[in-house]
Amino acid sequence: MGYQLLNKDFNDILNQLKSEYKIYGPKRFENKGRFSDTDVIGYGEIDKLEDIVLDEKTYFSPKEIIYPIRQTLFYFTEDEVKVPDAPEDKVIVFLRPCDINGIKRLDTIFLENGPYKDVYYERLREKVKFFMIECTEGFDSCFCVSMNSNKTHDYAVAIRFNEENVLIDLKDRDLLEYFENYGKAEEFTPEYIKENKAKVSIPYPEKVTNEMFEHEVWQEYTRRCIGCGRCNTSCITCSCFTMQDVYYDANKKVGERRRVWASCQIDVFTNMAGGHGFREKQGQRMRFKTMHKINDFYKRFGFHMCVGCGRCDDVCPEYISFSKCINKLYSIVEEGNNDEK
Amino acid sequence: MSIDVKKVKKNAFRITKQRGKTALRIRVPGGHLEVKYFDIIKEIAEKYGDGTVHITIRQGFEVPGIDFDKMPEINRMIKPIIEGLELDIGVNIDDPEAGYPAAGTRNVSGCIGNKVCPFANYNTTDLTRKIEKEIFPNDYHVKIAVTGCPNDCIKAHMQDFGVIGITEPQYDEGRCISCQACVKNCRKRVTGALKFENYTVVKDEDRCIGCGECVLKCPTGAMTRSKEKYYRLVIMGRTGKKNPRIARTFLNWVDEETVIKVIKNCYDYIDEYIDKSLGKEHVGYIVDRTGYNVFKEAVLKDVKLRTKAKIADYIDFGGYMYERNRFFSEVSR
Amino acid sequence: MMKNNPYLPVSAPITKITKETDIDYTFRLACDIKPQNGQFLEVSIPRVGEAPISISDFGDGYIDMTIRRVGKLTNDIHELKVGDKLFIRGPYGNGFPLEQYKGKHLIIAAGGTGLAPVKSIINYFYKNIDELKRFDLLIGFKSPKDVLFEDEINKWKEKINVTLTVDKGDENWEGNTGLITKYVPDIKIDNMKDTEVIIVGPPIMMKFTSMEFLKLNVPEKKIWVSFERKMSCGIGKCGHCKIDETYVCLEGPVFNYTKAKDLID
Repeated sequence: MGYQLLNKDFNDILNQLKSEYKIYGPKRFENKGRFSDTDVIGYGEIDKLEDIVLDEKTYFSPKEIIYPIRQTLFYFTEDEVKVPDAPEDKVIVFLRPCDINGIKRLDTIFLENGPYKDVYYERLREKVKFFMIECTEGFDSCFCVSMNSNKTHDYAVAIRFNEENVLIDLKDRDLLEYFENYGKAEEFTPEYIKENKAKVSIPYPEKVTNEMFEHEVWQEYTRRCIGCGRCNTSCITCSCFTMQDVYYDANKKVGERRRVWASCQIDVFTNMAGGHGFREKQGQRMRFKTMHKINDFYKRFGFHMCVGCGRCDDVCPEYISFSKCINKLYSIVEEGNNDEK
Repeated sequence: MSIDVKKVKKNAFRITKQRGKTALRIRVPGGHLEVKYFDIIKEIAEKYGDGTVHITIRQGFEVPGIDFDKMPEINRMIKPIIEGLELDIGVNIDDPEAGYPAAGTRNVSGCIGNKVCPFANYNTTDLTRKIEKEIFPNDYHVKIAVTGCPNDCIKAHMQDFGVIGITEPQYDEGRCISCQACVKNCRKRVTGALKFENYTVVKDEDRCIGCGECVLKCPTGAMTRSKEKYYRLVIMGRTGKKNPRIARTFLNWVDEETVIKVIKNCYDYIDEYIDKSLGKEHVGYIVDRTGYNVFKEAVLKDVKLRTKAKIADYIDFGGYMYERNRFFSEVSR
Repeated sequence: MMKNNPYLPVSAPITKITKETDIDYTFRLACDIKPQNGQFLEVSIPRVGEAPISISDFGDGYIDMTIRRVGKLTNDIHELKVGDKLFIRGPYGNGFPLEQYKGKHLIIAAGGTGLAPVKSIINYFYKNIDELKRFDLLIGFKSPKDVLFEDEINKWKEKINVTLTVDKGDENWEGNTGLITKYVPDIKIDNMKDTEVIIVGPPIMMKFTSMEFLKLNVPEKKIWVSFERKMSCGIGKCGHCKIDETYVCLEGPVFNYTKAKDLID
């Protein structure tokens, strides 16, 4: 179903949807940037179309909506374990194709890897409808086309934002009632970005041998990376977490078990009780992350984990570029080029 | 040669060691200016001076080697500078073609602030200009500098008034991933105000100096800056031949309005307590004479402090006195 | 929906606590879990924490876990008494392919706490020694005070060729000293095809012990190791135990050497 809607009509629809859905989109958080007097663009609840920031990429991805940074798994009282109720509200998220594809990667880990589904993920995930923001320009650091994640057809609604109106492709018939009384029918097929400024070539996984693990290319990252973890926390596909038990009261009778995002770049990710860790150098951690994103995940599931959203580039305080790293790897593996460039 | 030295000095020209030659001093509040003014400075230096310019510690320019009789001409030449850097920010100068009307209160200097620096908690240039507007022109000898964060790159601790920008970190537990980057950094680089307990960051309010480093370190935005901007005001630091000393904290967690008002009030205080028998008296020595409490009462007149604000009950300025601490053992052979 | 919640632990009462060393206690829990040899449980004390711990032995209605005091959780576990409860979920991981060892010459080399995950295999074959052609057991500890399961080791000696060594003895130690690797060449291997080797211990011990067996021309595919990693979830989600495309909690912790040698952390 295609529609053309005036912005104010679209806002009316959003308003009505709010009775049933929590609506999230990329928005501006004023003065919440890292530096003073700067904003951050992130995901939050929006009221109207004008709240949606389209001309800047979000610093954080929308994954926190379905995979919260801190998530209570259950509460402990002295003799009882209680699982918190799932949030009632259904969810709409405005996001770009790369992020929809990114959430597919999260689905893969949480719902398909291993013998069990992650029920906490599932119960949030199944409430989510994607409102896809048509993305034909991208941003400087994006390389979604190289990662084949510039397109998706998995959306409830696709939207092109024009100056005064929006074009809609409505796929989800649940939402028909909201849209059919507005605007005029107009066929609309979203377009997708065809070429990014940044491009990567990914070495074929079968050509990445264990020799690559010891390659000197990683030493550069031991020198440069400070292990802050921003690449992980901004990534749409990073899914690792750590369990934590906390207590609420001084005598420790009541508390909760929760999980929090974990970062493979930050100390202690591999540390076992007693302190032994397996990847002590930042270069090894960079190698681990890189391989996960463009090699290991592929071997396991048949597609790459990285979707090329480029956020890791945008947020790195040391200006380490992941796309550059991938290309270096390609150059070494495919072209036998071992020169540091 | 007949020169009214006092008038010349007040007009921001210096009496130099070379008889007949003066040096022009140009104020640059906050040390930040459009480069177009360089052309004027260059022209003065080349046409009237010796072709050089000195960048002063207070972030002004000093153009040496000028004949006294060229002062009126030069004052007319610097009109655009006075307009751009003084009048345009609200400073009241009656005749902008007559040069600077006062030189006692020195240029208000500032670090580069958050225009460029990641650590800065506010726009220092803006604040220097607001202060300049309130206190210039003025003959009383007061030195003021503002700095973006407790790193104090401008050396606010060496001023009569040093303004240090701070923030009150806001911790959103729900975004914290327990990486402890903030805790470790605070322990290593700052005051160790943060602890990690029960997988949560706990702040010791008394130890937190509001530098905002934890905000910079946080990878998830769990630590952010407060909407309100706060300042720490340190006072009566100085160099000099009597008793060099580092400024001490007078007010903490106060707002911009308070900072400006206190500095402004200080001029009334000076007016009342300055030793009029002297040609001039540096504010620090007046405070030495009247004592901190008299100063405190005077500068806090009509100031409404918010509940978060803290005032020093007592200040022991310390430093050292040349006349008392000048004895050293000779190196034994 | 939370019925299928894989993160929910169940409580299990402690029925017996055996002090093995000053820092290693064995806890027997009453529970119905029927694990495979070499699998692990996620063990927790609510409000304190959860950690992966290998099952050292099991039987009808119980499992044993030998737990070393190394941190917050294990310190607290050591404070527990008979009748107190531990929370558990699992078993997780693949376990050793017991069937494959039957009828063969089995060699187990265990270093330190690495003895725990293979203890149930040892006990199984101790009871069913006829199911093996021959059974050599190499056990190494740092020092005499670190020796685990001393009584059982003595019992095993009745039927199994046990070599017990400590890295460094003391004045009362009359047994073997030196690293396990020193005793590998003493093992007589008649037929490589019928030999299976299990090596469990600290990473460095497994590495060098494997190399010793390879020097004896034991084929790679005959060597089995068990990895210890920081599994936070145990079910392939949390990512902590991932090595390459392998999740130690899912495809491990037991690996054939042909696979293990390529697992680079």
